[in-house]
Amino acid sequence: MMKTRETKQNELTKAGLVLIFLRGSKRWFALAAIFTSLVSLLELLNPQIIRFTVDSVLGGKEPDSGGLLAHLPGLMGGVEFIREHLWVSACAVLAVSAASLLCRYLFQLTNAVGAETLVETMRNSLFGHIQNLPFAWHMTHQTGDIIQRCTSDVDMVKRFLSEQLTGIFRIVILIVLSLCFMFGMNARLAALASIVIPLVVGSSVIFHRKIASKFRECDENEGKLSTIVQENLTGVRVIRAFGREQYEVAKFDAQNRYYVSLWMKLGRVLSLFWMTGDLIGALQVLLLLVCGSVFAIRGELTAGEFIAFLSYNGMLMFPIRHLGRMISELSKAGISLNRIREIMAAPEESDPPDALTPPLDGDIVFDHVSFGYEGCPELLHDISFKVPSGTVFGILGGTGSGKSTLMHLLCRLYDLKPGSGSISVGGVDITKIRRDHLRKGVGIVLQEPFLFSRTIAENIGIAVPGIGMDTVRAAARTACVEETVDRFKDGFDTTVGERGVTLSGGQKQRTAIARLLVGRSPVMIFDDSLSAVDAETDVKIRRALKHDFRGRTVILISHRIATLMETDRILVLSNGRIAETGTHDELMRRDGIYRRNYELQMKSPEDEDDAPTATVSAPRNAEVCRE
Amino acid sequence: MNNAPLRENESKRPRLPWFGIPALVPFLKPFRRPMTLMVMLCLAGGCLDICLPLFQRYAIDHFITGETLDTLPAFIALYLLFVTGSFVLNYGAFYHAFFMEMNVSLELRRAAFNHLQTLSFSFFNRNSVGYIHSRVMSDTERISSLVSWHVMEAVWTLIFMFGALAIMFSINWKLAAGVSLVLPVAALVIVVFQRALFHVNKKIRELNSRITGDFNEGITGARTIKTLVAAERICGDFMKDTREMKRTSILGMHFRSLFTATVSFASSLALAIVLWRGGLLTREGVMEIGTLSMFMSYAISMMEPFFWISSAVSELIAAQVNIERFSRLVNTASDVADTPEVTEKYGDAFRPKRENWEPLHGDVEFRDVSFRYPDGDETIFEHFSLKVPQGSSVALVGETGAGKSTLVNLVCRFFEPTAGQILIDGRDVRERSQLWLHSHIGYVLQTPYLFSGTVRENLLYGNPDATEEQIELAIKRVSADRVIARMGSGLDSQVGECGDLLSTGEKQLISFARAILADPRILVLDEATSSVDTVTEKMIQDAISEVTRGRTSFVIAHRLSTIRSADMILVMKDGRVIEHGTHAELMHARGYYHSLYTKQFELEAVKDLSV
Ligand SMILES: Nc1ncnc2c1ncn2[C@@H]1O[C@H](COP(=O)(O)OP(=O)(O)O)[C@@H](O)[C@H]1O
Ligand SMILES: Nc1ncnc2c1ncn2[C@@H]1O[C@H](COP(=O)(O)OP(=O)(O)O)[C@@H](O)[C@H]1O
Ligand SMILES: [Mg+2]
Ligand SMILES: [Mg+2]
Repeated sequence: MMKTRETKQNELTKAGLVLIFLRGSKRWFALAAIFTSLVSLLELLNPQIIRFTVDSVLGGKEPDSGGLLAHLPGLMGGVEFIREHLWVSACAVLAVSAASLLCRYLFQLTNAVGAETLVETMRNSLFGHIQNLPFAWHMTHQTGDIIQRCTSDVDMVKRFLSEQLTGIFRIVILIVLSLCFMFGMNARLAALASIVIPLVVGSSVIFHRKIASKFRECDENEGKLSTIVQENLTGVRVIRAFGREQYEVAKFDAQNRYYVSLWMKLGRVLSLFWMTGDLIGALQVLLLLVCGSVFAIRGELTAGEFIAFLSYNGMLMFPIRHLGRMISELSKAGISLNRIREIMAAPEESDPPDALTPPLDGDIVFDHVSFGYEGCPELLHDISFKVPSGTVFGILGGTGSGKSTLMHLLCRLYDLKPGSGSISVGGVDITKIRRDHLRKGVGIVLQEPFLFSRTIAENIGIAVPGIGMDTVRAAARTACVEETVDRFKDGFDTTVGERGVTLSGGQKQRTAIARLLVGRSPVMIFDDSLSAVDAETDVKIRRALKHDFRGRTVILISHRIATLMETDRILVLSNGRIAETGTHDELMRRDGIYRRNYELQMKSPEDEDDAPTATVSAPRNAEVCRE
Repeated sequence: MNNAPLRENESKRPRLPWFGIPALVPFLKPFRRPMTLMVMLCLAGGCLDICLPLFQRYAIDHFITGETLDTLPAFIALYLLFVTGSFVLNYGAFYHAFFMEMNVSLELRRAAFNHLQTLSFSFFNRNSVGYIHSRVMSDTERISSLVSWHVMEAVWTLIFMFGALAIMFSINWKLAAGVSLVLPVAALVIVVFQRALFHVNKKIRELNSRITGDFNEGITGARTIKTLVAAERICGDFMKDTREMKRTSILGMHFRSLFTATVSFASSLALAIVLWRGGLLTREGVMEIGTLSMFMSYAISMMEPFFWISSAVSELIAAQVNIERFSRLVNTASDVADTPEVTEKYGDAFRPKRENWEPLHGDVEFRDVSFRYPDGDETIFEHFSLKVPQGSSVALVGETGAGKSTLVNLVCRFFEPTAGQILIDGRDVRERSQLWLHSHIGYVLQTPYLFSGTVRENLLYGNPDATEEQIELAIKRVSADRVIARMGSGLDSQVGECGDLLSTGEKQLISFARAILADPRILVLDEATSSVDTVTEKMIQDAISEVTRGRTSFVIAHRLSTIRSADMILVMKDGRVIEHGTHAELMHARGYYHSLYTKQFELEAVKDLSV
């Protein structure tokens, strides 16, 4: 799916994206880089102090007169003084440590601030961007996959930028200075020590490149395992009802084992790799020990130098091994960044700058509208109708005939292709209206309502900032859900949704209706919103609606004739075409789909036989009344 | 207690005895061997690692100071021996830690998943999918890494520390005592900081799962957010969470780096002590320079273990929550469970003994049944009795919340009556296994659920062995043939996540066909066609009366036209059956049903009057 849009996305490069994300955190990272450089410099100082103490103070060797460090003993009172007062050296070690620790603390803190600012920016921009993506995008992408991109991949990028990128300063400084000191002390020994560098770095890079695909495979299989659990939990009622636990367990077990076996294979290789790194390090130390001893005996190296040399060597080993890892992490982070970029590069819904905000209480007109979902045959064919302002408009239609789709088009969840008709509200084409304005004005209760993990009160008032409890209650009352909610232990403060109690289908529908009502939008759409509600409650709700919302344009999708016959005008959809339209009476006079529905729901031969009085006479009376 | 939601008490600090380890013992038992092996290898490897600085000392004191290379070959040989030994031992330890981590997590996940398959609906009503999901996936992972890597780290660290101390003490106890002086300081630091870090870490984890939850909601609820124009509000709330996360993470980092700095300073203190006191000793000629250098390298490397120990300790403390939640999950008793005798005879959900299963005929009887939801306070049924003979169709009508779904759930034994009995073919349902019953039941749920995959995979879910003809027939019966033909690839079309690519009515039709395909003896339709148009519904009905001939069926519907022809109609109100009989009888009785039924027509009259 992502591939197809690739061409258009090229404007947003990975580097560009990083720059966007780094906004606000750049200076913190810069500070962190400074501090980490300081840390490395200070850390390298201590071995020098130790060497000086061991060699010159204790060993009696003439201190070499190289660079800045030569002045240090003078500052501390001269070699003789130090020999008498060895604590001076100790204090110097402590002072340097303290300074380096302070810098390290500052480094970690600034780095953390940078990193956290970075993730905050990344998360917020991703979340905001996803909210602004067209709905068609949502339908073509797997929730689990998007979430993984927004969590694991974000973490990966953050870790890389914060742990590795600022670390690189430290690594480079450590390697370069260690090598400098080592070469300064004894070039031949240093050369010997440094032969491992290309070895370790190179092998590490090659190795990590090689296993990157294995890592990915493990990740993917973890994702699969996770999906199996997810589907098992969401579909638990179906699984139980069909007694398919055994199948589920077998499926899970197979994937669980496969996943573990993949990791075990990887584990063997990884352990071997780590241990080999250790081994190489140990062998290098052996080389140094042997050669160092030989050189020292030949008088090319002092004992103090040797000790210092070994400690620099210790400092060298860590960054070298790290460098290899970093290079391989770079490719992993690159993959993650690309996955994030794919989301960020998808074009957002945007309104033209001259988008209008007209009043939306006018007539709604569908003008020769045709529509098909991407990759599917055309679904709606040449639909034209008008919903006069302030009327109640009913829609009846077969399963999958496109009723919901029609309403989604009106809310601009999907957009019409140019040349396949137009939809207008109050004479203004909806493509010219600002999206949020349109959606605020044209409220809809979706066929399968979604509630947020918040309290019922918050759910109802979510679209209206600063709403009062009275309004919430009034809306709940109109939607006939107040009483039900009051029966809950926490009443309107009951948390629902993913992190709370599960409401039944009917309760959800009515909560969603209440949520729509508080918006007081001039156009209200009910997409089969009372299907899970019994006929009696259905009537109560419609009565209340009529009472409270007189004068608004209402579109009602329903399969219930009793509901539809109360509307001002009814549209009958069949296979994406308008089959008939008219008032209840007009449609009843025709021998069409509506009439057939009516007969199926309202009349049956038995009625006439068994209960002739009320059932059959009532509609007749009604018809008489009308005429 | 078992009925309490899992998440309760979470805010409190878990109080499991012995860090919750005993709760894990049953799961760790099978891993005694690799675990012991891991610890042993790690101990041995640690011992070798301690000795490495001794080589350095020897090289300085013997070769350099003594200016001789006499023992060099032996030195090299011994060193190589040590290094190879350490390589092999550490590799073994690592590999076993990997093995432990992966296999323990495998077993824990399996245990959790299998247990979930036996839990009743009330459990799933109370605990959200996301919550249970992370119990199965993340808690297990954390626990397994605790018992593998962190155990290994702790072992290695302890052996290293004590070994190093032992060597130092054996060489110069005064200097060693000086070095070990910093140990209590470091220990104190660990304790102090762990306290602070514990809370921060917990908060971070909570925020993390909240942010994941926010993403989940923002994505699955995208359509709703758009139509409500609530994006600003939702984004605003999300940003509050991320800001909180940022603050807490920085605070955590502040503590952590302060902690590292303090411990490192203690290590520098040790180094300084060695340099000072050791320097004095060397100056006086009591100690050799090589020994001094060895002491210094121990003093430096002493602190590394401290970080490890503290990370192991903090992990152990943090994992408490995970251990507790996990063990609570696997110990949650299902409130619908088969007795051991039943399992003995009929097998359980994973190993059914189908050979012992009796056929199910479909007589259903409620005998003096009372019921209350485990966490509800209203009694839904009281002393309710009803006989449904084999092959009859029962329709249930009544307001939402009247208890219709509850009644059919009782028949399916998704819940068990608090008093009284439900008999199937004359025997208490509890005398047979749940799987036996469920294998004979076709249940079409109020909210249709489809698994992501193709239409065919979904249809085959209830009966994997169905033939192509059977599938065709089932589809025709529910009039889904037209709908399926309209989809791009027919039966092999993808339905999308949770069937999102289909319209609600289509989902209902497919889940209906799925139930029919399972060829059940008892068919339960809980508002199964509420979003299907009446014409299709009528066609289904005609076909269904054919299908259900000879089968017992329970049908719940709000459109009364759906249920007119049922053999028996139960009218429910407030958890009671207030009327029952055939449509004709009920119409004659002029009761509640009559008024419900006629209301539709009166409505029209009302409307006309108001016009
Ligand atoms: N996102 C989608 N992608 C592809 N096809 C879809 C999508 N949503 C709905 N459809 C198909 O469009 C048709 C009409 O759906 P819908 O408008 O929901 O029907 P209904 O009239 O029952 O409300 C159905 O056949 C459905 O399978
Ligand atoms: N899992 C549950 N726990 C507690 N109470 C419940 C549960 N499910 C339903 N109820 C309550 O039981 C009553 C009957 O519910 P239900 O059988 O679903 O009604 P119907 O299917 O007739 O709409 C309602 O008052 C409802 O709130
Ligand atoms: Mg629809
Ligand atoms: Mg129900």
